Amino acid sequence: MTDETAQAVRIPVDLWEEDVEAVITTWFVSGEAEVDQGDLLAEVMAEKIQFEIVAPASGILNIMVQQDELVEKGDTIATITVSSN
Amino acid sequence: MAAKERKLTVARAMAEAMSQEMRADEQVFVMGEDVGPLGGVFGNTRGLYEEFGKERVRDTPISETAFMGAAVGAAADGMRPIVELMFVDFFGVCFDAIYNLMAKNTYFSGGNINVPAVIMTSTGGGYSDGGQHSQCLYGTFAHLPGMKVVVPSNAFDAKGMLTAAIRDNSPVIYMFHKGLQGMGWLGTEAGATVNVPEEQYTVEIGKAATVSEGHDVTIVSLGMGVHHSLRAAALLQEKGVSAEVVDLRALVPLDRDHIFESVKKTGRLVVVDEDYQSYGVSGEVIASVVERDISILKAAPQRVAYPDIPIPFAHHMEQWALPNAEKIVSACLEVTHSDG
Repeated sequence: MTDETAQAVRIPVDLWEEDVEAVITTWFVSGEAEVDQGDLLAEVMAEKIQFEIVAPASGILNIMVQQDELVEKGDTIATITVSSN
Repeated sequence: MAAKERKLTVARAMAEAMSQEMRADEQVFVMGEDVGPLGGVFGNTRGLYEEFGKERVRDTPISETAFMGAAVGAAADGMRPIVELMFVDFFGVCFDAIYNLMAKNTYFSGGNINVPAVIMTSTGGGYSDGGQHSQCLYGTFAHLPGMKVVVPSNAFDAKGMLTAAIRDNSPVIYMFHKGLQGMGWLGTEAGATVNVPEEQYTVEIGKAATVSEGHDVTIVSLGMGVHHSLRAAALLQEKGVSAEVVDLRALVPLDRDHIFESVKKTGRLVVVDEDYQSYGVSGEVIASVVERDISILKAAPQRVAYPDIPIPFAHHMEQWALPNAEKIVSACLEVTHSDG
């Protein structure tokens, strides 16, 4: 029996100071790829500054917000399905 | 299970190539405007200042005249400088150092002095930055003897060609298109962000690559144009036209054999270039074929290049002027229908 839980990949609410929208400039992994905790997943740009989003857990990535789409602080941009067996 | 992905943007691939060569060879250093703590305005020197410090990652004053001359001197004296000319459009104030000194000193010294400098410089437009921040100028540099000229179209080539450029004993002009860097505000071409090995490797300077095979028409391009061409090839497939896409990767040396062999197979040639049309890359590519054997052509070659005008700032005017997939499709349909 395998237990699966989904962990959200969120944009930290303190990633940048201003109250502005950002854009996902790059996904470094494809959807459904296996990722390890700490892997670089994406770059997000706000006010011409790029920020890194890393994997909060190990598992299978499910991308919810695509490259070139707008995001705000606190948004969930993907989930990681973590299996524990 | 498939191997784990390791996609990098062109910007990260360039930084990785430089950092690995700097670890291996203490004569390698980086110099330019905002290449230090900022990490380069195009992201390609991020992390270098933190690892190697201000002696080897040198922020310069805004004087290309001074630091390009310094780079030529350092290279002649045995170092291996990587110098950033932030926008290729700024070449005017430092061209004496580039084409009268850097490109010629090996010849003037009877082969006694090498000048192993790399000039990395950004090219291209599409994001409304005006006519003095948007040019490609590929032909301007490729025209002048004594320098190798490379134009990567993706992160794998970007790393391998920069490593090869740093190790090369000739001066190399490394021209990276801003739209391929993975910087959102410059427009991001997703096709440029590809898997890149972590270990060091080189991509031989002077070898073109066929990035999509076909048999009705050859589309020859470089840099951003490769991605427009691949989109065009997909659209042409729906219309029953099979297009082959050749990525030049280097302008000097130009892989004329590769171009010729592809056109020999398809009989038709369309050249896509974001540099100005007249007196440039597109004409040289066509000459590579017609000088050798005109009988292989089933139709007159076509060009999709930048019109001979200064680049407009206004969004609609700039987009009108740039090469795109639709223009390439039209040109390919013209050459494939003209013989039937």
